[in-house]
Amino acid sequence: MKPTIVKREPVVDEALDQCEARLTEEQIEKVVNEVIDKETGGRLWTYVNTCIHCGLCAEACHWFLSNDRDVSYAPVTKVKDTIWVLLEKKGKVDGAFIKRCSEIAHTECNLCRRCGMYCPFGIDIAYMLLVVRRICAKLGMVPLYLQDTVHSHAATMNQMWVKPDEWIDTLQWQEEEGQGFVPSARLPLEKEGADIMYSVIGPEPKFLAQLLGNITVIMKVAGLDWTMPATAGWDNSNMAMYSGDFEIMARVERLHHETAQRLKVKRIVMGECGHAFRGAEYDGPTWMGWMKPPIPIVHAISFYYDLIKSGKIKIAKKAKGPITVQDPCNVVRNGGLGDKLRYIMNAVCEDFVDVTPNNRYNYCCNAGGGVINVGPPWKKKRVQGNRIKAEQFKRTGAHTIVTPCHNCHSGIEDIVDFYKLGMHVKFFSDILIEAMEIPEHLKPKEE
Amino acid sequence: MSNIESWDWESKEKMLADTAEWKDRFEDVWEPYISSDGEKIASIIKIGEGEFNICVNGNTWEEPFEKMWYSRFSPDGRLTALISKDAEWTMAVDGVALEETYEYIWDTKFSADGKTIVAIVKQDGVYGMLVNGKVWECPVKLESIASHAISPDGNTVAAIAQTVPLGQADLDGFLKGTWSVVVNGKPWNDNFVGIYGLAISNDGKKVAAEYRAAICEYGIVVNGNPWIEKFGCTWEPVFHPDKSDEIIVPVRQAGQWFLAKNGRIVWDKGFFSLLYQTYSPDGNNIAVAVAPQFGKWTVAVNGQPWSVTFGECVQKPCFSPDGRKVAVIAKDSGKWLLVVDGAVLGEGYDNIWQPVFSPDGDKVICKVEKNGKYAVAVNGEIRGKNYEALWNPVISPDGTRAMICGVESGRYYRKVVSLSNI
Repeated sequence: MKPTIVKREPVVDEALDQCEARLTEEQIEKVVNEVIDKETGGRLWTYVNTCIHCGLCAEACHWFLSNDRDVSYAPVTKVKDTIWVLLEKKGKVDGAFIKRCSEIAHTECNLCRRCGMYCPFGIDIAYMLLVVRRICAKLGMVPLYLQDTVHSHAATMNQMWVKPDEWIDTLQWQEEEGQGFVPSARLPLEKEGADIMYSVIGPEPKFLAQLLGNITVIMKVAGLDWTMPATAGWDNSNMAMYSGDFEIMARVERLHHETAQRLKVKRIVMGECGHAFRGAEYDGPTWMGWMKPPIPIVHAISFYYDLIKSGKIKIAKKAKGPITVQDPCNVVRNGGLGDKLRYIMNAVCEDFVDVTPNNRYNYCCNAGGGVINVGPPWKKKRVQGNRIKAEQFKRTGAHTIVTPCHNCHSGIEDIVDFYKLGMHVKFFSDILIEAMEIPEHLKPKEE
Repeated sequence: MSNIESWDWESKEKMLADTAEWKDRFEDVWEPYISSDGEKIASIIKIGEGEFNICVNGNTWEEPFEKMWYSRFSPDGRLTALISKDAEWTMAVDGVALEETYEYIWDTKFSADGKTIVAIVKQDGVYGMLVNGKVWECPVKLESIASHAISPDGNTVAAIAQTVPLGQADLDGFLKGTWSVVVNGKPWNDNFVGIYGLAISNDGKKVAAEYRAAICEYGIVVNGNPWIEKFGCTWEPVFHPDKSDEIIVPVRQAGQWFLAKNGRIVWDKGFFSLLYQTYSPDGNNIAVAVAPQFGKWTVAVNGQPWSVTFGECVQKPCFSPDGRKVAVIAKDSGKWLLVVDGAVLGEGYDNIWQPVFSPDGDKVICKVEKNGKYAVAVNGEIRGKNYEALWNPVISPDGTRAMICGVESGRYYRKVVSLSNI
């Protein structure tokens, strides 16, 4: 097989460089074969042996399309240059090869699964790259900032090194912020037997606390019985799932689900995040042996759809258009919430302008799959790797992009900035809080 | 339960508070909590802008506070709450705030008799444990406290704490170990990559936890001494009820979960998943929640799984006092089920609280929820009326009666009923 011609600007990631210097070929061979023999099975071999190398997957990949159809970014090339070699050589490779595996799997693939839709055989190419990530993680070959995020999960059970007191203090502060809109709003902590446990991802208390104030108001107006935990287990995000450290992934997911069981709630409603839905709904429960989450998980899109459709939240003043939307891969392509997303967008926007392609076929934001978490060293490559996303948004003529996912939100802000699109990026709850009707009896009294 | 023998087991029914009336008296009334003996019911109440108090059986504390949260009764009946006064936080006990204040305070816990009350505090960026109003003196600066545990007698308090500062994105520093266990203010000698699942033996002499040695390498450390054996993953250790030198732990090897005792695998059978290992009261039997296959959950007693399996999950098993029976809450097809020795009792419910056995093991009673109402179920069948709010029943020490506390039409009742009549 011909070697791939790879042209990349050099990127310095000291974690990868140090790991390459440290690894021995014996360590690599042992870990590769352990993972292949004990953690994979028919699924991997079926995918590897079914692929006819047709390359149709290339057309699906935003990396390939944004980099002038550079074949080194095609999904088939990413597996050819990683897992195929590892299998063929039975793990007899060197540290430089494992480093390149990490660069491909952690920084040039979002595990968005668009390629699987274009494969004539439906091969889940992202799964194979996740196996590569697993091998890399067990060898310690993980980009610096992604590994640091995983260490945060391991130490604090949240993504952002948020300490227990900072979490609770932020909730109490945001309860007061919410009371500025609705004085009787409350953010109930540790309320056993509530209907809903609301969970969020680490960046909300750290950088985007207003979203916690938003939900305090929304829950009150909708008249819902809800709670949030005052213990670890509040963070539904999971970058360990993406580094390949599945033991930490499982520990985080177990705590999240057991916190909901401890609080005896009927359902977990989660904020606007895509990968967190994947971790909490699929990957975490699967590792734990649960067919599905013991307490059902409802993504924010479904939650807001139910509130608006049922009339629990009424829209008083639609947002002025044109406004477009980003379909998060993990809840739209892989979770089927695209139609509900369009329903709520039309409900709150005067002029909702859809993207093309859209829904299940939408392009990834290029931040998901842990790719934004690999941090500043890789940022330039990331934003250049999603030129088609910028072009897609530009075609809509929208002034605002709604992103019901934190990774999408951050990644698209970077794209808007880099390509000078001049658009605002907002969460759905930011739009909803402005558009929703607050009943008279809940409004602040005039002085 | 503290002094359970001295509780009022004679009065058949007491109406102790009209909580509906509280809603007219106060701007906001939060969810109620009751004392262990059922004699008191309390809710945090809002009485004005930035003014909170607590209402106990209709009476408020003398002094209101700027903020209040986490009101909990100690097992000996004292009411605690975390309060803010002049923008500083502390704990109030039966209406009296501690003199010392802190930047923040949280996670109140009690010894079994209620005599020891602990909480985590933070002051000037340093974390510590507040034990009966005094903060530990610790020789190292604690950068954070993740969780803590207290022995039944209250003499041993242990915390999982960050004992070494860590710079941003310092991967090497993290892997050298920044976490340890601090027992009564004294940190263990060694630091670890991670510490989880803290446990204290019933005699308070041993403290055990999971430790993380490397990215995918875990073990158990007891009083600071790690087991020799390491595993791909572990879950929290559990001490034998009487023998503090015996610890059981779920461990993962080659993709399967096993039960290990003091580092050695005890059952030859591996499972897809294994959780919540539980000793019988005499320590002679062990029950665990297991998934023999993916998505099929049951209980294994002394290594033998029940033949029945459940599609969603099972929770922590509990033994009858004589250790002969095992009950567990399971979930299947969206319903919570009460299961005893592999047999589903009664119908499915929207929620089931932890079951309690009668002393002879013949009856298992618990709080259940159905269609938004709560009731007491005996052997899985609802007995008696529905309640708007209900607490898990408590069985008298002689095993003849049960205390049932609940709210009906806004009124809080404490009832004592004969076990044979429910």
